[in-house]
Amino acid sequence: MIESLLRATLLGLQLGVTLALVATGLTLIFGMMDVINFAHGALYMFGAYFGLLVADALGSFWLALVIAPLIVGAIGAAIEIFSLRPLYGRNPLYHILLTFGLAIMVQGIVVQVWGARSRRIPAPELLAGSVSVGPVTYPVYWLFVLVLSTVLIAAVWVAIERSDLGILMRASAHDTEMVDALGIDVKTVFTGVFVFGSVLAAVAGVLLGASRSVHPGMGFGVIIEAFVIVVIGGLGSFKGAIYAALLIGLVIAYGALIAPALTDLFIFALMATVLVIKPSGLFGTTEAA
Amino acid sequence: MSRRDVDKVATRNRGSAAESSGISRRRYLQSGALLGTTAGLAGCLGGSEDTLTVGFVLPFTGVYSLLGESIVNGFELYVDEQGGEIAGQEIETVSRDTEADTNTGVSATRELLVESGADALVGPVSSAVATAMMQTVENESSAIWLNANAGDYRLVEEGCLSYHFRTSFNDWQTSAPLAPWVYENVADNVVITYADYAFGDNSRQFFSEAFEQAGGTVVNEIPIPLGTDDFSPYMGDIEGSGADAVYSFFAGSDAVNYVTQFHEFGLDQNMTQTGSGFLLSEDTLPAQGQAALGKFSLLHYTSTDQSERNQGFAQSYADAHDTRPNVYACQGYDSAQAFELAVEEADTDPDAMAEALRGAEIDSPRGSFRFHEETNDPVQNMYVREVVEGSDGPENEVVDTVENIELPTWGCSVN
Repeated sequence: MIESLLRATLLGLQLGVTLALVATGLTLIFGMMDVINFAHGALYMFGAYFGLLVADALGSFWLALVIAPLIVGAIGAAIEIFSLRPLYGRNPLYHILLTFGLAIMVQGIVVQVWGARSRRIPAPELLAGSVSVGPVTYPVYWLFVLVLSTVLIAAVWVAIERSDLGILMRASAHDTEMVDALGIDVKTVFTGVFVFGSVLAAVAGVLLGASRSVHPGMGFGVIIEAFVIVVIGGLGSFKGAIYAALLIGLVIAYGALIAPALTDLFIFALMATVLVIKPSGLFGTTEAA
Repeated sequence: MSRRDVDKVATRNRGSAAESSGISRRRYLQSGALLGTTAGLAGCLGGSEDTLTVGFVLPFTGVYSLLGESIVNGFELYVDEQGGEIAGQEIETVSRDTEADTNTGVSATRELLVESGADALVGPVSSAVATAMMQTVENESSAIWLNANAGDYRLVEEGCLSYHFRTSFNDWQTSAPLAPWVYENVADNVVITYADYAFGDNSRQFFSEAFEQAGGTVVNEIPIPLGTDDFSPYMGDIEGSGADAVYSFFAGSDAVNYVTQFHEFGLDQNMTQTGSGFLLSEDTLPAQGQAALGKFSLLHYTSTDQSERNQGFAQSYADAHDTRPNVYACQGYDSAQAFELAVEEADTDPDAMAEALRGAEIDSPRGSFRFHEETNDPVQNMYVREVVEGSDGPENEVVDTVENIELPTWGCSVN
């Protein structure tokens, strides 16, 4: 029993930090540009598939982990500049329809190029096998995902809370016109944030693509969880997204122990409860971060 | 009007039937006026006065698209081998995408039977779609139905339809016959893990019954939701069950995740993994890689089988599609063979075709099989395979053949 709990806790934390990588981009993009980005799951999936491509071509997981997110970042920049930017300031419905359309397009492209069968990014030899963590054996690679995602999330936290760039990002979200009037190119900041979100999602895609199968439905699965996280954490709140991601990761892992068939129910029950008690989410305010 | 009207151009267009039926209607008006006869009316309304029409009711988009594509590839490969004809007649194929949706499946079936005048239906992949199609096929009673995949035994138990012939398998076959083999060769106690939906639950039930009948003990049964990415929380229960072997039903991405994580958590060291053939198949093995080695599964088709019939089939399939045939391709190929046999015996009268197929034998790449006289299910050998290191990575090797299996009829008698 204790072993099961410990194993589920490790999985929950690992799931939490990787979901946080996905949800961070989603919440920052919403916080700053008021865009509900349905294509975010598609960028996560692109990360996994480009990871597969690079790992196959160059035979290295590590290169895949670096190159694939950069490719997806470039795709993110193209999406922001050519499709989102012309629609800023309009009814949010435009963005929802646009990004939803993009998500479907990406799914179609993936099926055409890579086919429908499930694949997997080969994990590095270095991280093969499993080790003992207290009373349980746990795969080395899964621990690696836990540690690396935690480091990345911590770094992003520091960058947003402490650095000048982070201040600029938060300020742009809080009062776009004022920042613009101060002579800062808000357009570039927006593009930068979108690229940043895309890269984080793609990193999560490559990391999970080596421990789970890579298949064309993966983008839609993760986007639901990511949206629930963003809503629970408070729309646009970076801190909220991190806490909510850990919470959801643990709910998924413990849910599988208690009643596997009801895990989705637990997630939405949690969301409903949080919204009843605190309608703006755990850390929801009108401003970002 | 002759069915062998030689100047008729057959179209093998996957997408639209409208175009070709338009042509045939115009031709009918011309020739009908010329001959001044109404005798051909019935045939022409069927839209198939001089060609054979085959309707594919298959998923071409969504999670099952790979399966639909493989079935069509297999079917077309056989037709190509016959010079593009079946029983000396031109073949016209019409495809309707069912996705995995039961409503779409029913409307596609009606459209293919009524508007396209299909002489045979090939498909579907999903048993839920097959169940929904049953009533329509029975009402129209205008074509035979070559079920190229859907394996739920209840299609026989509840439907028992004389036009329905499985060129595939039923879920009893891919689970129960493995039980006595596991008991004799692997372990006398098992834990069962399965995808928690109808098909997985059937497999669990059939294996469990057969294993206990053989004298073994099922120590635990663990249902896991369909589409699970992380099996980590269940690994404790599997390991903690204390069983020496595991029997599983998972397919597709679930099979990939389950098998690789079973290996990563080190469960391979103390337990032998067995399962239905979908757990370790041509479409999952490349992704499972080394994690699949040493695992046993049961299926009616194995692409590496060394028989001359299969080697020929596998070679020409690889030439055409640059990949090894999977079980679905074999099922599509055999659907074409069954159709040919039916047409040779009975032209396109659906009742006569069904009569001709009942008990008939098919020379399949899987080894020859016949349609059961009572249920129209395939009576076939099942192969126990072990995953071994091959020249292009892990592949299945047949280690044993379960022959002459007595097939349950679930109270069905189509006669």
